[in-house]
Amino acid sequence: MRWNSWLLAGLVVAALVNTSANAADQTATFVHKKKYVMGTIFEIVAYEASPARAQAAIDAAFEEIVRLDGIMSNYKSDSDLSRLNRSAHFKAWTVQHDLYRVIQESLRYSKLSEGRFDITVGPLVDFWNAVVRGERIPSVKEEQKLRSCVGYEKVELLPPDRVEFNSLCLQIDFGAIGKGYAVDRAVTILRSQGISRALIDAGGSTIFAMGSPPGQSSWLVHLRDPSGKIDPQVWLSDSSVSTSEQTPASLIGINSAGHIIDPETGAPVKTTVAVSAVAKTATASDALSTTLFLVGPEKGQRLVNSMPETAAIWISPAGEVNISSTGPQILCRRQGAQLGSRKSEMPELSVQ
Amino acid sequence: MPQFMRLRTAILGLCLLLLDVPMWSRVFLRWTELEAPPAKRVGVNELAVPWDASGIAVFKGLAKQGYQIYAEVSPDQADAAAVIAKEALTGIILNPGTTSQNQVADVLCRLRSAYPKLVFRIVNANGKQPQMRSRLVINRNGILEVTSSTAQPWIDTNLALVKLERAFHPPEVPLYSFHWDSEKNEQLPAPTAEDYGLAVAEAGAFDADIILPLPASLQKDMAQNSSAAWEIWNEVKRYFAFVSTTTNRHSDSNSNVGVVTDDSGASYEALNLLARHNILFRVLRPSDFNERNLEHLDVLIAFVTPDARAIPVISVFAAKGGTAVLVDSHGAYPWRSSQPIRNSENSASHAVGKGRVIELSEPVSDPETFAQDVRRLIDNQKMEISLWNALTTVAVLHRSADQDVGTIELLNYAEEPLRVQVRVKGFRSTIRYETPEHGCCESLKPTQHDGFTEFVVPSLHVAGRVHLGSEHAHGRVQR
Repeated sequence: MRWNSWLLAGLVVAALVNTSANAADQTATFVHKKKYVMGTIFEIVAYEASPARAQAAIDAAFEEIVRLDGIMSNYKSDSDLSRLNRSAHFKAWTVQHDLYRVIQESLRYSKLSEGRFDITVGPLVDFWNAVVRGERIPSVKEEQKLRSCVGYEKVELLPPDRVEFNSLCLQIDFGAIGKGYAVDRAVTILRSQGISRALIDAGGSTIFAMGSPPGQSSWLVHLRDPSGKIDPQVWLSDSSVSTSEQTPASLIGINSAGHIIDPETGAPVKTTVAVSAVAKTATASDALSTTLFLVGPEKGQRLVNSMPETAAIWISPAGEVNISSTGPQILCRRQGAQLGSRKSEMPELSVQ
Repeated sequence: MPQFMRLRTAILGLCLLLLDVPMWSRVFLRWTELEAPPAKRVGVNELAVPWDASGIAVFKGLAKQGYQIYAEVSPDQADAAAVIAKEALTGIILNPGTTSQNQVADVLCRLRSAYPKLVFRIVNANGKQPQMRSRLVINRNGILEVTSSTAQPWIDTNLALVKLERAFHPPEVPLYSFHWDSEKNEQLPAPTAEDYGLAVAEAGAFDADIILPLPASLQKDMAQNSSAAWEIWNEVKRYFAFVSTTTNRHSDSNSNVGVVTDDSGASYEALNLLARHNILFRVLRPSDFNERNLEHLDVLIAFVTPDARAIPVISVFAAKGGTAVLVDSHGAYPWRSSQPIRNSENSASHAVGKGRVIELSEPVSDPETFAQDVRRLIDNQKMEISLWNALTTVAVLHRSADQDVGTIELLNYAEEPLRVQVRVKGFRSTIRYETPEHGCCESLKPTQHDGFTEFVVPSLHVAGRVHLGSEHAHGRVQR
């Protein structure tokens, strides 16, 4: 449906039949399951000779994602994150390994982006959500007060498993990295159960490709294109892609905040550019896509160039494109801006 | 609407009055196999059997198992089916296919006159498999496609279709059907008991009738007494029982939002998304554009260009404090004489009395955003029902005629237990929760403030029904 392309991350994944596929590939059965968790739909597709084994492995991966939701959710009052958000103000709080890891990874991207990627932006997200729902009227005073709560440098990690907030009102929100971490954990579970060809999708915005489909060397992923002119694509194998884009503006001209807040300004980002980032892990691609969205193409390209096996594309609704890569090749078909050399292998597909 | 169209609609309305109007939602099973287990064991009395002129023996055989048989026919086959109806059929269901509405109306009118004792229904076969949908996975000629891009769960619900049917074909109870995705793509798994249950519960919640398609393999297995098939079906039967206990009667009296459309399909996805966001709306035909029909509405959305008769109606509606949204609007309207109070790229908002008229210069390009916009146009204090942690849930609020008692039908398209927080307008002293799994009823604890009652549904699996107790006399909130 055409209007789907207006939503967050338009991704089409495709694989070609290869006539030279070996016998093992031919016997692989396609298994697909989906689950509502973390406020979105996770889907896993797998090719496996034993459908029962694939089903069991996918179920185990979903169980892991549900477990992580119980740890990282800031909607569930009994989650580990909620307890941390209630308890770690000027007091070191012991957390589970997964929570510690995600905070650690988040702070790494905060430093890389000089604070533009920030998991402590939660109070401002809540504030703007309340504004959108009509429950609050934005005031400079309140916004300033909330901005004083925000700042990744106020989060202190005390190895191996303790966290302390050096602020009285700091709150953590994993909206920009949690799904990526969950996808990586699902990949680990699937691998541990013997699955090597699979695709894990977190609501369309983060995808991890394990191995390749039968007869192929990688998975082809179509990326979000707000212009509808570029049709960007990337081949993935044991790597991930994520897309970040601000919530669409109101059609009827009423005030509406987007879900991505810029910690520098304290307000929702006003840009219509879509950014897709490719990296070796879903945690990295998820965090990186938001980071690159916030820093913009100029700084973003420098950042990508400093990281191995990474690529990113910025596309505006007018079709302006910026690409940067230290390995993965992002292909743009319709502008003639061919990057890479795999054109002949591509199927003729259209985004539905 | 041209004069002859109005006349035609009036004649069709008279024809429909001849219809056998059932008192509650019905489930027809679409049966394509030669044999069926006894109706009593299946838990359904009515079969919709695709027409086969040579199959009268089959009809008779199925009828002997205790079923009422309805032949599902195209308009071309209807006469032939009606001729043999006396021998084996209870009724005939017309599946219009590509036949125009007017032609179907003609056929129906003629048949009802010729066979007054026979039941005739029209099925809308354009329903969707109710489900939480994300990416569409297709393996077609070896190409695996995974499409869709939504970050939020996408629900395929038939609520919009039912509302359109009800508006455009009164007083007939809407009858719809759909195809399972697995019928179109054999790579996809067969429907589960929860899938069947959701389809049945959905029709019940919407006060509509449904022809439930059954895969041939399940029909055969049931006829051959397969324990695996009956294990599935015995679970589904709980949903038949659940739906049969409803005392709901359809009412749109709680709607905040009116949608004027000509049923051309252009507005369908926008309506679908209004439904998915639990915005209470009712569909109005262009001929329903009058002040009386707009009473009690807060928002009016017009997907048709208002004619000279409708423009003053919109002006009055807005002047009284309403918000009118005109989609793909290009007319010369009186409110344009003043400067817009707000302009954006594709919209202009004009103040009219206590309210406003918002004109969109283009069709709705993003129904999800549009639905969220409409939600923001409704004052929180006027929201009849709100749900939290319910992105996969559709709620249908039914109130008694005096607004005193009511029910909320809840459907969870994720088909997995969900804890849902509900806020409903008015002070309710008792809240009871009924489910297909546990029957009626568990008492839930209500909390009340600001003119609303809040409670938590502890576990919504596929379907549930909340019984709202009487409103406190002193706490009653007037709409």
